[in-house]
Amino acid sequence: MPASGVMDTLKQAAASAGGFVELRYHAKTSRSVVVEKGQVESSSSRSVAGLGVRVLENGAWGFASTGSSEPADVKRAIESARAAASSGASLRSEAVADLPEAELATGDFSQPGVDEIEQRSLEEKVGMARKLEEAVRGSSSSVSSATCGYSEIFEEKAIVTTDGAAASFRLVRPELRLQAVAEKNGEMSTGFEAVGTTGGWECLFRHGDGEYFAGKAARTAVDLLSAGHPQGGRASVILAPSIVGLLVHEAIGHTVEADFVQAGSVAAGKLGQRVASDLVTLCDSGASELEDGAGGTIPVDDEGVLAGRTVIIRDGILESYLHNRESAARYGVAPTGNARAWEYADEPLIRMRNTYLEPGQTSLEEMIASTSHGYLLDGPRNGQADATGEFMFGVQEAREIKDGKLGALVKGVTVTGIAFDVLSTVDSVSDSFRWDLGSGYCGKGQPAKVDAGGPYIRCKALLGGEQ
Amino acid sequence: MSSTGLSVSPRDPLEICKQLVDMAIDAGAEQAEAMVESGRGVETNIESGEVHTVQSREETVFGLRVIRQGSKAFVTANDVSERRLADSVKEVLEQTSVIPAEEANAFAPPGDITTVDGLYDPAIEEMTVGDSSRLAAALAEAVKSRDPRVTIDSGSVSFSIERSALVNSLGIEKEKSATMAGGSLFGMAVDGEDIASFDYDSESSCKLDGFEAALLRTADRFTDKCIAGLGAGEGLSYRGPVVLSPEAVAEFLLSNLMGALCADTVRKGRSPLADKLGQLVACEAFSLVDDATIDSMVTSSPFDREGVATAKTSIIESGRLRTFLFNQHEATLAGGNARSTGHAAGSASSPPGVGPSYIELAAGEESDLLASDGGPVVLVNRFSGSTNAVTGDFSGVVKNGFLVENGQRRPIRETMIAGNLFEALRDISALSSERSLISSSALVPSARIENISVTAG
Repeated sequence: MPASGVMDTLKQAAASAGGFVELRYHAKTSRSVVVEKGQVESSSSRSVAGLGVRVLENGAWGFASTGSSEPADVKRAIESARAAASSGASLRSEAVADLPEAELATGDFSQPGVDEIEQRSLEEKVGMARKLEEAVRGSSSSVSSATCGYSEIFEEKAIVTTDGAAASFRLVRPELRLQAVAEKNGEMSTGFEAVGTTGGWECLFRHGDGEYFAGKAARTAVDLLSAGHPQGGRASVILAPSIVGLLVHEAIGHTVEADFVQAGSVAAGKLGQRVASDLVTLCDSGASELEDGAGGTIPVDDEGVLAGRTVIIRDGILESYLHNRESAARYGVAPTGNARAWEYADEPLIRMRNTYLEPGQTSLEEMIASTSHGYLLDGPRNGQADATGEFMFGVQEAREIKDGKLGALVKGVTVTGIAFDVLSTVDSVSDSFRWDLGSGYCGKGQPAKVDAGGPYIRCKALLGGEQ
Repeated sequence: MSSTGLSVSPRDPLEICKQLVDMAIDAGAEQAEAMVESGRGVETNIESGEVHTVQSREETVFGLRVIRQGSKAFVTANDVSERRLADSVKEVLEQTSVIPAEEANAFAPPGDITTVDGLYDPAIEEMTVGDSSRLAAALAEAVKSRDPRVTIDSGSVSFSIERSALVNSLGIEKEKSATMAGGSLFGMAVDGEDIASFDYDSESSCKLDGFEAALLRTADRFTDKCIAGLGAGEGLSYRGPVVLSPEAVAEFLLSNLMGALCADTVRKGRSPLADKLGQLVACEAFSLVDDATIDSMVTSSPFDREGVATAKTSIIESGRLRTFLFNQHEATLAGGNARSTGHAAGSASSPPGVGPSYIELAAGEESDLLASDGGPVVLVNRFSGSTNAVTGDFSGVVKNGFLVENGQRRPIRETMIAGNLFEALRDISALSSERSLISSSALVPSARIENISVTAG
């Protein structure tokens, strides 16, 4: 059922519910095709729809979900959530405070691209994946295998709360992934490129068409075959927007999620303190700031709060945590629109959306030219961070910089450090900007589509490599 | 388990499977396979050391695969109304019209039957949101009383039941019921300005009897691991031995190795073990089996995602590679004597992949892997890093690690290790005589590995 069709049912249920009730209808349809070594490995479609209901009663939360949006089932779900809340209320040492007033959303907030991607045929999408996989395989005799995956997620939501939210929206998130495996004399290496966006195909391919990414994945795999290893140890590094994105998401963003702060993350008690170089301004936004199509875009969060821009660090000073309505009440601030649920059966948690570092005023060329020795790092392979702010990212492409000039490609590079310490060493920020994590998913009990990015930055970090 | 009155399908999963297969065949599919999972559960979440959200849920999900004119496609949904079933059959057949045919596309034929007991406990069906909340409060309190410096960022206690069935048009008809009681903790120790690395622990069981006591022991383990990370200092750079804890063996060493042992990875040219059948791929003490047939294990099942009977599979014996893991599709593609080993993995909401169920690495003979002649040894309790699945090159940070040197042991931070997974398997110099069960899915010893690059920050 379209979200607009279920809105009246939710409004009627909320009107007769009493107390605080949050009703969220969420329909999600995902389609994907994977082509590998010339064969369509899989073609699949997934549709999940239903209603998630939260109540706040006697100072405790209750949640229930149902795959139906029929009025009788909605009513039963509210009753189940109430029963659940009652069972938890007596076990809390402190009641959850009443929720603060917030800028609650009303109306439709649909995003562009949905109709365009729906109208493109499955044949066209499968054809593109087959063509690009072939392009990767055909680009070099050293490429022994290739994969191309195309997927798209359509979402429809209607969110109604008893204190005034009544919002709906549709959006679409297409993604393209390409991988090349190169082989020579028993040595193997891989090249991986991925793009993801919130919007149509024009937006998905705004940094280059499919052939561009196919060629890049193949070139990286082949070039890495003959690459050496870097010297391990502390080094001056220039981080590309993809690595900056991972850094601000994994190593800073998680530590400023208010639930993690409450548990004692490294950001606890640091509001108003200097935590980074004064060149660093770091934000999280539900909108796609500075460039269209960020993959974590949401107009409204899953509590019905408008998902605006939050400045986390301004000119090096920690300014805000990321909040849902409950944590905002605890900290005496306004909610920041960061409550997100993956599917209808998931409760909203504090999650990031599009997290980024604001650009500065130096060109990348100037930054490289003024580096006597270091590495330019691009293309994250994966990443993890800790409560301490300690992070570790694998890096796909690392180029040594010697006397202001880019040198040889090295492989097997891992970069690590304590996030706030690393950000305190930032001495140069480029004037360019790019979202570059749009194909990424964040895991925190449940997945979330997020994006992250920024300019190039120069800082100091610990590189892993050969001894 | 208390009824929530929600809209889980009252229909028998097996009946829905049969209906879907019949509808697909009637609509023009040459072969069809349907899986249905119908589950319900209660769960209480812990946040910042307190009972937070209490929830109940019910859902029925189906997955339908068809083959038409040699092309294969998959569709899944959580709505088993007549209209949705009909729409899904239409949609999946439309998919096949744009997918190229592949000769090897075929579903599994009927075959052996495996029996696994103890997967269902009626006592778990009686659990309510009150029960999950009471246990969640007890779990949070157990952590607090053991050491108040440990904060729980998140945790949960849950009870669930799932009835599932799988039917295909070649004659397979399988069904099972399984219950699960589970609990988890995630958090860290904070002592003033000193913040330790986060840690986690979990417990799960098919049976209610003994679960509460086991869950409270989880609280003790979790608390002790968190506290041990306080006071971490600088490490040391060297090339030499490291010791992986059972957790690091399971979640780093074996999880990456298992990827290289799956037949789809081999077929795609992404496994360095592809041409190593019968050869030594690890030290001679290294023997690895996968077994989904053990009674009363949450990872056990009498049949896999394609309906093939599960069995105990010896994968590596005394360091020699004996077999890869196959599902039906990969066995067909491999040809020759290859047969499905019952390792079709996944749920109704995804097409089958290939993967292990429950792995056991044989114990060694050593009681103290950290013993040294005075030279440094790093104990890796967790590894947070990046492993190139194709080459085996790995590099990453030691979590909750310790440096043992000259008989002294101290916690360390900002220390990286790097090497190659497949070389590391051959460089294992000892396995411990004691083993631990990790996340209910792996029973493994600690492992001492030589010649690893260690870099301190």
